[in-house]
Amino acid sequence: MMLPYLIIIPLFGAFATPIVGLAGRKAREPWAIFITALTLGVAAELFYTVWKSGEILVYTLGAKSPLGQGVGFPIRIVWEVDLLGALFALMVTFIAFVAVLYSSEYMKHDTGLEKYYTLVLVLEVGMLGIAITGDLFNFYVFLEIMSIASYALVAFRNDTWEGIEAGIKYMFTGSLASSFILLGIVLLYGQYGTLTMAYLAKMIAENPTFTAKVALGLLAGGLLFKSGAVPVHMWLADAHPAAPSSISAMLSGLVIKIGGTYALARLAFSVFGMGVSTKTVGWIIILFACATLIVGNAMAIIQTDMKRLFAFSSVGQIGYILLGIGIGLAAYGSDVGNVALAGAIYHTVNHAIMKALLFLVAGAVIHQLGTKNLNELSGIARKMPVTSFAFLVGAAAIIGLPPLNGFASKWLIYESSALFNPFLAAIAIIGTAFCTAAYIRVLFTFFGRPSERVMNATEPGKAMLVPMLILVLAIIVMGLFPWVISEKVMIPAAKTLENAGAYVTALLGGA
Amino acid sequence: MGSDMGLIVKTTARATIPLIGIFGAYIVSHGHLTPGGGFQGGATIAGAGILFLIAFGFGEMKRRYDHHLYSALEGLGGLAFLGIAMLGMGVAFFYNTLWHSGPFFNGQPGTLLSAGYLPVMNLAVGLKVFAGLVSAMVAIAAYGRWKE
Repeated sequence: MMLPYLIIIPLFGAFATPIVGLAGRKAREPWAIFITALTLGVAAELFYTVWKSGEILVYTLGAKSPLGQGVGFPIRIVWEVDLLGALFALMVTFIAFVAVLYSSEYMKHDTGLEKYYTLVLVLEVGMLGIAITGDLFNFYVFLEIMSIASYALVAFRNDTWEGIEAGIKYMFTGSLASSFILLGIVLLYGQYGTLTMAYLAKMIAENPTFTAKVALGLLAGGLLFKSGAVPVHMWLADAHPAAPSSISAMLSGLVIKIGGTYALARLAFSVFGMGVSTKTVGWIIILFACATLIVGNAMAIIQTDMKRLFAFSSVGQIGYILLGIGIGLAAYGSDVGNVALAGAIYHTVNHAIMKALLFLVAGAVIHQLGTKNLNELSGIARKMPVTSFAFLVGAAAIIGLPPLNGFASKWLIYESSALFNPFLAAIAIIGTAFCTAAYIRVLFTFFGRPSERVMNATEPGKAMLVPMLILVLAIIVMGLFPWVISEKVMIPAAKTLENAGAYVTALLGGA
Repeated sequence: MGSDMGLIVKTTARATIPLIGIFGAYIVSHGHLTPGGGFQGGATIAGAGILFLIAFGFGEMKRRYDHHLYSALEGLGGLAFLGIAMLGMGVAFFYNTLWHSGPFFNGQPGTLLSAGYLPVMNLAVGLKVFAGLVSAMVAIAAYGRWKE
């Protein structure tokens, strides 16, 4: 069973980094790359196992069986991995590996790098934990591990006011969101006396009390906060641009999804799916999704700071993912809901790759030119052709041009929203129009007439180009087989998420 | 120096720092029997370090504090915790194999040498918390108003 090593390896790497750092300044980067590569291998193996067998893996911490002695219900902490969790674990380890590889050159000039790599690995541990956990309090612990590591990483470059201000703002809003989530968990524990998600799902299905609904409201509120949905997106637009670019790639690509939309989907479907009215919950999420779609993408147009533009675009893309989840809930059990949910899952993976690529491009520009102001970056394509090509691919994919990966996932969301309610499809299209306008503007800047500042720019080194090209390759390859991926991975993943009964019986047996 | 405190404070600190340290060590080592444990005991021991910092000033602290050593100790605490959690990997992650099959820490419940991996984990956590808190306080003092 490889599952525990998904946590053990990066945790070991994080704790050992200060000791490895004593061996010399050159030892830290290879160590971090080695650890993330090993984790990626474990996650790939886990994903293959789960995908091939189609079963839900259950792992009990500290004992042979999750059941207590002499009682018929689970008392241990369990990890429960279905196809969706395994897919997201693979996504997390892949992006983390690419970001760490990129950091080896991008962060070369910074001090305190053993802290940086420790925090990056801890961040990865937190996200992997959320993806695989099957216990509500364990989920909260991993959520806090992830959040605290990201607060510190946002403020990592503490020589400018920008990083510190954003870090403090992120910490305040993030802690507020965490308190909501903790309060929701406390209410559920007080009402039902258990924290195991599968058993809780069974209890809620049997007796859905008012307290459980209040708890769902608190949990959903906190998680929407964490995922940066409008109207609580203000921290995101500060925190993501202020972080070092390799960290922005992980924050925008992974953290807001694993700690936001994935957790929301997991709780809404697997825990509350059989107890509350999915139609009501779905429509509430759809309302937030529509606001997020419009505001996020529209705000992206007016930014002059490149990383801020990408951050607002992340808000907009979170809107699509929430729309998919909302329709999946509101049309629970129908084909439309299934397609919408598959689109949301697919778009989560695609957006992780695209937005990581775009932030790495922004990082390369900052590293070579020292500015992220779009007004000063005119004509960069002449001097940095590879970087600009990577940007072109990333921007085309995020708009949803057909040969690239963003097309298929957006298509699934448009298609299902048009079938569910044409009005929602119209909103989704308007969001894309705004998104296109924002990226076309950056594209014109990149390919426009060269400004003086740009004339003596050069391409970054190999350690920064290779990670970008890996992501470009991933976008193109995923774009070539969109429907195969959708049929073989995304639709089954959506089906496992919808099948809350299987999530319960995997742990509790056929009872 | 200028950043240290008066004679009375320093003399009292000399007398109390060892006592605070011993009390913290007691809380760590009895973590599986009484309230408290690795975190609380480690924080208490770090309290002794912080008292030293305040009473004798940042200059004296800087002479006795080695950043690399504390950083490594903190990592070591984490690694020890992880290693103990992995002892029972044959059954499951975090399986308390010391308690179930020995060879030590499997005495009568309620005695000091019982509870399997818990006392060892408390020691590891205590080490980590002590090293981490002292490092954090030194960092705050270094950035703060305590100039030499």
